Amino acid sequence: MHNVKRQSRSAIEARKAREKSQLDTFLALTDDVLRRKKSQDYSQEAFDVTTRIVRINPEFYTVWNYRRNILIKNVFPSSSPEEIFNLLVSELMLTMQALQAHPKVYWIWNHRRWCLERIPDGPGVPAEHDHEADAQGNDSPAADPAGWRKRCWSEEMRAVEKMLDKDARNFHAWSYRRYVLANSPTSRPLSSELAYTMRKIESNFSNFSAWHQRSKIYSKLWEDASSEEVRKAKETEFELVRNAMYTDPDDQSVWMYHRWLIGPGHDTEILNRESSVIQELLDEQPDSKWCMESLVHYKRLLLKNRRHEGQESSAVPESSLDALVDECLSLLTQLQTVDSARRKRYADIANDIASDRP
Amino acid sequence: MSQDSKLLIPLHVSYVQSLGENKDDLTYHLTAHLRMNAIYWGLTALCVMGHKDALNREEMIDFVMSCWDEEAGAFGAHPDHDAHILATLSAIQILVMQDALDRLDIPRVVKFILSLQQPSGVFAGDAFGEIDTRFTYCAINALSLLGRLSELDVNKTVDYFSKCRNFDGGFGSTIGAESHAAQVWVCVAALAILDRLDIVDQETLAWWLAERQLSNGGLNGRPEKLEDVCYSHWVLSSLAILRKLSWIDSEKLEAFILSAQDSEGGGIADRPGDMVDVFHTVFGVAGLSLLGYPGLVDLDPVYCMPAGVIEDLGLRKDWQALPRRT
Ligand SMILES: [Zn+2]
Repeated sequence: MHNVKRQSRSAIEARKAREKSQLDTFLALTDDVLRRKKSQDYSQEAFDVTTRIVRINPEFYTVWNYRRNILIKNVFPSSSPEEIFNLLVSELMLTMQALQAHPKVYWIWNHRRWCLERIPDGPGVPAEHDHEADAQGNDSPAADPAGWRKRCWSEEMRAVEKMLDKDARNFHAWSYRRYVLANSPTSRPLSSELAYTMRKIESNFSNFSAWHQRSKIYSKLWEDASSEEVRKAKETEFELVRNAMYTDPDDQSVWMYHRWLIGPGHDTEILNRESSVIQELLDEQPDSKWCMESLVHYKRLLLKNRRHEGQESSAVPESSLDALVDECLSLLTQLQTVDSARRKRYADIANDIASDRP
Repeated sequence: MSQDSKLLIPLHVSYVQSLGENKDDLTYHLTAHLRMNAIYWGLTALCVMGHKDALNREEMIDFVMSCWDEEAGAFGAHPDHDAHILATLSAIQILVMQDALDRLDIPRVVKFILSLQQPSGVFAGDAFGEIDTRFTYCAINALSLLGRLSELDVNKTVDYFSKCRNFDGGFGSTIGAESHAAQVWVCVAALAILDRLDIVDQETLAWWLAERQLSNGGLNGRPEKLEDVCYSHWVLSSLAILRKLSWIDSEKLEAFILSAQDSEGGGIADRPGDMVDVFHTVFGVAGLSLLGYPGLVDLDPVYCMPAGVIEDLGLRKDWQALPRRT
């Protein structure tokens, strides 16, 4: 149970009294559905009982299973593609209503996927019957051999956006979104997904779910990009993150995304540049934990790079390594005060750095 | 307030005992799909508080067996409910804790579990095919408790976990999903059972986990989210498996968990002032056990069961809790 205020004993008793008739209805329905299920009743009547139950309790996974079995065993075999299509569309409507009230119930999302995957391809031929044209709503898609499927899957993007408008961090909705993007019969350019994450980030910098999605989309885009394209895109992202850092230096979403952009930090030039950007912010906000924390991380990457260069050319003077080590140790000492909950971690890192000192 | 600074063990024990007496409450029936899990949570909470016998052993075992789904060869959450891996793991954990595995048709349940593995390596929850790394954990935990891990295709399984790993060191429910503390725990604990923690970026992940602690002492499950007692188990158990429990402020977390107790009716809530439930009660108590709270029994953070039970089975892994205070 989450976010439900504790009630006094008398309030609980009052609620029980209020819910008494609901309770009786629910118990009777439960008995009815489990009895029918046991006797392998796959009738329309049984289907209607499952509708009543999942409307009251969408967590009752056995009833969702039973409902699907009724569809598979009885309804689908005796229905035309058009009837199946209409039925599945009404299932999608039912699950959308349920999700409005219960946006985090796995079983509803799960049933929705199952239905979506079973939408028949489409009318296949131009609508000959008037009622079929009506079901299509408008003109041309009726002729598309995969019109039904395409229409439902693109409708899903709107549905999931509605869910994310209500709760921009709902991880069920984000997972469902990735699922639709990956499996939709009409492919969407990755750039439009980047634009979507941008809109989400602009409306709230703290939305790490959107930053996460952005990192995944870029990773995919960069698989086939030239190194120059990647470099350019990263520069734009660094710019974006810099603005966010200056807007709210305490927001960890932004710092985590920055860390992703830096990655293993093989590019010393970028590491140096970003470190000085963060140092400037730290000069303005001398207590900023995330500035210090990130600086330590990036300076450690610099240390690693220099040690590596040193092994190859022996061109890196030890004094410059020493200076970096000292900077890290001083930041770590400050962090132990500024962010005392995690002081042991900072102490452990300081020990590691000190014991690696040349 | 001084009452809040101590774990109210007798009150929590009677709270867990009373859970079966709420049959006039609609909420009780609306959560029937979690009954098996709830019994596992209640029993584990009692074991950690040192009151294993507060619930009747025979009744419990009979209930578990009454949830057997003969058609599927596994357990549902409640009599006449369909088999699912979530309920099946809880049932096996209860039978192990009650030393009653002799009641179980092990070959059949192993067959059910193995049948759920997908070509990608991830497990489905049941025959309808919803996939999630949670279900993979359930499968691995159950097979391990039954001594049948050798029948698992380990490489395929580990491969899927590694594809769920994110740049922040964490893991999500499926490939591409955002890191989430509960999902991190199932992945890390499963990998610990398989002795494959080598695929975890341990330093990065321990950093991400330590950053779950908020200034009020509570832990959240993802960046920029609210604190919640249940993360005491997911974050702490993951840190214990990585041997980095000292990376958060245990005193502040302990105070937060204790402040979420209901000092009148017993039980622990998600946050102070909220309605208690058995889910947050067990995970609150589990967190306190890992933090070395005095008088509690050791909890195994990999299996989320009493450490002694896991040790007796020879399954203990290399985790580290804080020393028990006296
Ligand atoms: Zn919770």
